Amino acid sequence: MNDKLSYYQDKKARSEKFILIGGAVALLGVLSLFIAASTLPGGFEVLIVVILIGLIFVGVGFAQFSSVVKKFKNDYLKEMISEWIEDGYYDPKRGLSPAQVYHCEFLKKADRFHSEDLLTGKIDGVRFEASDIQLQERRQRQTKNGTQTYYVTYFKGQMYVFDFNKDFEGFLQVLENQRPQSRRKYDRVKLESIEFNKKFNTYSTNQHTAFYILTPQFQERLMAIERAHPGKIGFSFIDNQLHMAINNNKSNFTIHLFRRIDEALIKAFKEDLQVIYNIIDELKINKRIFKEA
Amino acid sequence: MQDWMIVLIIIGVILLLPVGWFISTMNTLKRKEVKVEEAESGIDVALTKRFDALSKLVQTVKGYAKHEAETFEKVVKWRAGLPKELSLEQKQEFMGRMNEVQSGINVAVEAYPDLKAEKVFVNLQNSINNVEEHLQAARRVYNSNVSTLNQRIVTFPTSIVAGMIGMTRKKFFEADEAKKSDVEISF
Repeated sequence: MNDKLSYYQDKKARSEKFILIGGAVALLGVLSLFIAASTLPGGFEVLIVVILIGLIFVGVGFAQFSSVVKKFKNDYLKEMISEWIEDGYYDPKRGLSPAQVYHCEFLKKADRFHSEDLLTGKIDGVRFEASDIQLQERRQRQTKNGTQTYYVTYFKGQMYVFDFNKDFEGFLQVLENQRPQSRRKYDRVKLESIEFNKKFNTYSTNQHTAFYILTPQFQERLMAIERAHPGKIGFSFIDNQLHMAINNNKSNFTIHLFRRIDEALIKAFKEDLQVIYNIIDELKINKRIFKEA
Repeated sequence: MQDWMIVLIIIGVILLLPVGWFISTMNTLKRKEVKVEEAESGIDVALTKRFDALSKLVQTVKGYAKHEAETFEKVVKWRAGLPKELSLEQKQEFMGRMNEVQSGINVAVEAYPDLKAEKVFVNLQNSINNVEEHLQAARRVYNSNVSTLNQRIVTFPTSIVAGMIGMTRKKFFEADEAKKSDVEISF
């Protein structure tokens, strides 16, 4: 393991120790409170203090953990990504903007929008942008204490935006059990492949564009992408760009408690990036054979 | 209301229902036929574009591919655009001839790596690839619309209306086998 990774791992391990020790002390305090508080003179107050000390340790541990994660992503991962990808840029705090996300026209507007882990760059000549997205809808329910407002997540996953290798007019959407979320006049398009029509609903404002983009081979490739990525998937082709969103309840570049910062973690992060390579390679959008050089 | 009036209204409705259905079915068939015609004109546009792109390519490589340039001269009679009265078979034949010329050029320029590397040539080739993709898309749109219309024409009870208005099954625009695959630069 390289020195930089060891540095972050040591700091993370220290924060985890705080959490473990604090948690153990607080738990011990709570257990003692139930078992022995009445037998000790002034025991109740002492145990409350013990629990508080334990909780403070846990709080400090989490604060340190969060700080280490931020520092690791901001310094180490940012640098790594700029080395791995041409024009690579990574910002853990930012993500695709709401305008960029809704531009795909198949995700409905959220009451709560959150995006993070913005990644941009160029792979094999194809410019892309990607980030984690979480969309939530506000709901209300009546309880005996009045109206309660709560939020339900209807999309959690990644969105990718690629420059497409064909220029086209109109708008096209290829969706899994979804409909376009736009007032634009989309018509359902049936393609030749029964299998493709079963898997995806295709909507377009221009029938020719749908057939121009969705060649039989491209349909096969979209199905291969769908098979390789669990979760609900959607593609839209708008303004000479391909938007792809995977609702898989996952986040990229996540660092968990008690999971070591080591080469295995870096490998896992590279696998998160591999999705982008796979899409470009599988869909062959790196083949610039339809545009002027 | 008098009983006889109710009976009259019921008879009227019973008579009007099939008439309404006939008109609605006829209009649907006509609309689908118009879509087929629109799709066919899409093929014409794509064929013309392909012809223009191929003309430019032939001009660029005529020094290297003399035979192909001569072959191309044979289809040059349609330089001003495709004649309107051209049948579907003639269009297919025209497309086949252009494919022949294109394949010949691909083989001929194989011996000239410098030419292949020229930006003008690469751009022309990309432009042809793109036009070819549009042509294949236009062909598939046409066939898709023909398939929808033909299904209506042969399915009962729509087939009755189709027969009464003299609408018959349309022919498909067949693809050259080699062009069914993705466009790839072959040299």
